[in-house]
Amino acid sequence: MLPFTAAAHNQGPGRTLVSLERRHLVVVAMTGWLACARQVAAAPLPDDLAAAIAAFADGMPVREGRVSLDIAELVDNGNTVPVSVAVDSPMTEADHVTAISLFNERNPQREVAHFVLGPSAGLARVSTRMRLATTQRVVALARMRDGSCWSRTVEVIVTLAACVESEL
Amino acid sequence: MNATHDVKGALDGGTSAVSRRQFLAASTVAGGSLVFAFHVPLAGEALAQPASAEVNAWVVVHPDDSVVIRIARSEMGQGTLTGLAQLVAEELDCDWSKVTTEYPTPGQNVARNRVWGNFGTGGSRGIRESQDYVRKGGAAARTMLVQAAADEWKVAASECRAAAGVITHRASGRSTSYGKVAAAASKLTPPATVALKDPKDWTLAGKRLARLDTVDKTTGRQIYGHDLKLPGMLNAAIKECPVFGGKLKSFNATAAAGRPGVKKVLQVGDTAVAVIADTWWRAKTALDAVIIEWDEGPNAKASSEGFDAILKAGLNAPQAAIGNQNGDALAAIAASARRIESVYSHPHQNHATMETMNATARYTPERCEVWTPTQNGEAALAATSEACGLPVAKCEVYKLHLGGGFGRRGMSDYVRQAVLLAKEMPGTPIKLIWSREEDMTQGRYHPITQCKLTAGLDGQGNITGLHMRISGQSILAAVFPQNVVNGKDPIVFQGLNATGPEAGIGYTIPNLLIDHAMRNPHVPPGFWRGVNLNQNAVYLECFIDEVAHATQQDPLALRRKLMANHPKHLAVLNAAAERGGWGQPAPAGVFRGLAQTMGYGSYVAACAEVSVSAQGVLKVLRIVAATDPGYAVNPQQIEAQVEGSFAYGLSAALYGSCTVKDGRIEQTNFHTYPVLKMEDMPKVETVLVSSGGFWGGVGEPTIAVAAPAVLNAIFAATGRRIRDLPLKDQNLKRA
Repeated sequence: MLPFTAAAHNQGPGRTLVSLERRHLVVVAMTGWLACARQVAAAPLPDDLAAAIAAFADGMPVREGRVSLDIAELVDNGNTVPVSVAVDSPMTEADHVTAISLFNERNPQREVAHFVLGPSAGLARVSTRMRLATTQRVVALARMRDGSCWSRTVEVIVTLAACVESEL
Repeated sequence: MNATHDVKGALDGGTSAVSRRQFLAASTVAGGSLVFAFHVPLAGEALAQPASAEVNAWVVVHPDDSVVIRIARSEMGQGTLTGLAQLVAEELDCDWSKVTTEYPTPGQNVARNRVWGNFGTGGSRGIRESQDYVRKGGAAARTMLVQAAADEWKVAASECRAAAGVITHRASGRSTSYGKVAAAASKLTPPATVALKDPKDWTLAGKRLARLDTVDKTTGRQIYGHDLKLPGMLNAAIKECPVFGGKLKSFNATAAAGRPGVKKVLQVGDTAVAVIADTWWRAKTALDAVIIEWDEGPNAKASSEGFDAILKAGLNAPQAAIGNQNGDALAAIAASARRIESVYSHPHQNHATMETMNATARYTPERCEVWTPTQNGEAALAATSEACGLPVAKCEVYKLHLGGGFGRRGMSDYVRQAVLLAKEMPGTPIKLIWSREEDMTQGRYHPITQCKLTAGLDGQGNITGLHMRISGQSILAAVFPQNVVNGKDPIVFQGLNATGPEAGIGYTIPNLLIDHAMRNPHVPPGFWRGVNLNQNAVYLECFIDEVAHATQQDPLALRRKLMANHPKHLAVLNAAAERGGWGQPAPAGVFRGLAQTMGYGSYVAACAEVSVSAQGVLKVLRIVAATDPGYAVNPQQIEAQVEGSFAYGLSAALYGSCTVKDGRIEQTNFHTYPVLKMEDMPKVETVLVSSGGFWGGVGEPTIAVAAPAVLNAIFAATGRRIRDLPLKDQNLKRA
């Protein structure tokens, strides 16, 4: 269900309202919105997801950055969704990624996958497929050799098909 | 009322309307790149007004006071454009005669953080799921328009009133209209909260307003997917491996390639062959000339007889997922004085939409656009992006009206195919239309199930225990396995759930067990209007009727006894029975049957009147159907939905069966998969029991009572208990 908030209806300055006579300019006008399309709403993470992330971080602060998370923002069916995580790391003996973990917000379990890496991995990049029960945020975390933790969060819209009685 | 839902092009910014079969395309080229190629705006003629304003995502007001209401759900005949517009207009307090509607595009929705919510159109959710936020959208727009007028007059907004698009300040006698203040209103900060009207104060919602799209549909002006024409467009026909799970092994296009108008013969994915030609018929006939060899895979010998054996085994399997349980039904049945046991079945069925699956796609390396009738615009957009390999931001889907959906168009397989074809001819729009044969044999079929019902009775004929064992297909296991929980597909139990606002059972049984042994033949199941409620209502409502007759009880009296704790279920049953004349003598040769259920948040019941000739020819004469959807947004549309539910539900009950031989569906067109003819359509009387306080759907639940009410009436007429559908395969001569 779409929450009705002031923000959801406020186009704001600079993104002036799409009037009908400018309908054919919608694509141009929308570029401003597109830039923020994948921004994740600032809503706090649910407790169980926050707890799972905290367990991974093991007391270290989790910082945004260094991690890229490649997953479709809109999927027809969440059954098999390709996902790749890459971390900005030289992957040397002295400075490498030791672990990458994927978490989710609304699947039955918060943990999706845990990858253990070392300098012999060569690249700090992993790819897999995951299931997404419904529209939700996916969080990728990386732990570095120095213990620091970095993350990236992406919201994925899962477009459930028709005739289910309510959102599953 | 202005015409709504024109399809327009925007050549050089022009907005000339086009007739149904003269659809024009338009391209606005700026800076050498295709900026905007096409759109399917939906409003009337006033597109070029200079100061039109989007007051918020739902409401655009033109200077001439005409109002465009944006509707995210797809119109497929169910009237959602009108019903949702009524809800917005009610809170907006605008002039209904100046309202038109339009679809926002799925791409816009994604780009604007889903400001229009879910585009999915199914599950009878249009009104009930979006009523809250569309009403708030209308109320917020009204608040902003009034505030803009108050600001101009430098008075308090609370001193101003809005009605029919006119804002007045009584104290000073001033008035203005929405069109004059819309531009200013659009710059205001939306209210953080808005109060919604009490439905008892509605003046537009709840009224029998005429549909907004009737004129265009009546005059043929309405554009459906099959009608679409774009400049330079080519047409495509496709054949996918008729055995589900099979693949394309090889094809010989020699004979087809030289035929007139043929542009390409090509493989689509690893399962299909398509022909692209200048006209669709040339594509189709050339495709018929392609020699195709299929790798039919492991299901090449599957048959309906085999499925029957698999499902029969499930009826007695030790392991099953429990959907509803209270007490100890098995023990109660074992200890009972008398047992009644019956086995029912329900066949595969095709959606058989009047308009076959279709989509038109145009691909360039920079952008991919699709025009298609879809029940889920965002899913179609996702499928477009996945198939063409471009990011969502470089794709767009323009929704066209649906020539029938019924759940089939919630899937995007045909969209994916059209995009794959368009990718083979960059820059050329490709319109893919499925032949009727393709549509019949590549469905997403109503799942097959069987059900064994066992009742234990005490010495007085009271039910002491009831066990419903369902065996058969799970839609979720095929479509969304991620939503099968601990081996249980929760939607298998539609209408049989213990509690809840959606689809709860209407009976209190002292010891009850309803469980499901999942058995999944290879035929792909899908959501078929009414989904699992349909067969569950047949199983339970006919079996209750069986118990009533076996214990010499009136079927209505028995139901009333079992439904005492379910007043809403009982109220619609009573309404249908009373209006249907239950308990009163029927005309000679006419017999009655009852059924009730709950689904999609609404309570429904039907009383059917039938006659069966000595030769076993059935005539369904009259059906009284009662519905309680809580709030009724447009009673006329509810009646239309109820009547349509019997057209669809009786088609299924009388004729609907897809059988499988050699792994493929045997029925290929309407000669083997008939639908109800006008002469077969009974008189339908709808009794609207709007008890208020909740929002239920009306598009689907009534379908579920069509078959059991008729089956129970057939028993009354003939003494024959029909437990397998469709009726065309049954002997209805008097027992």
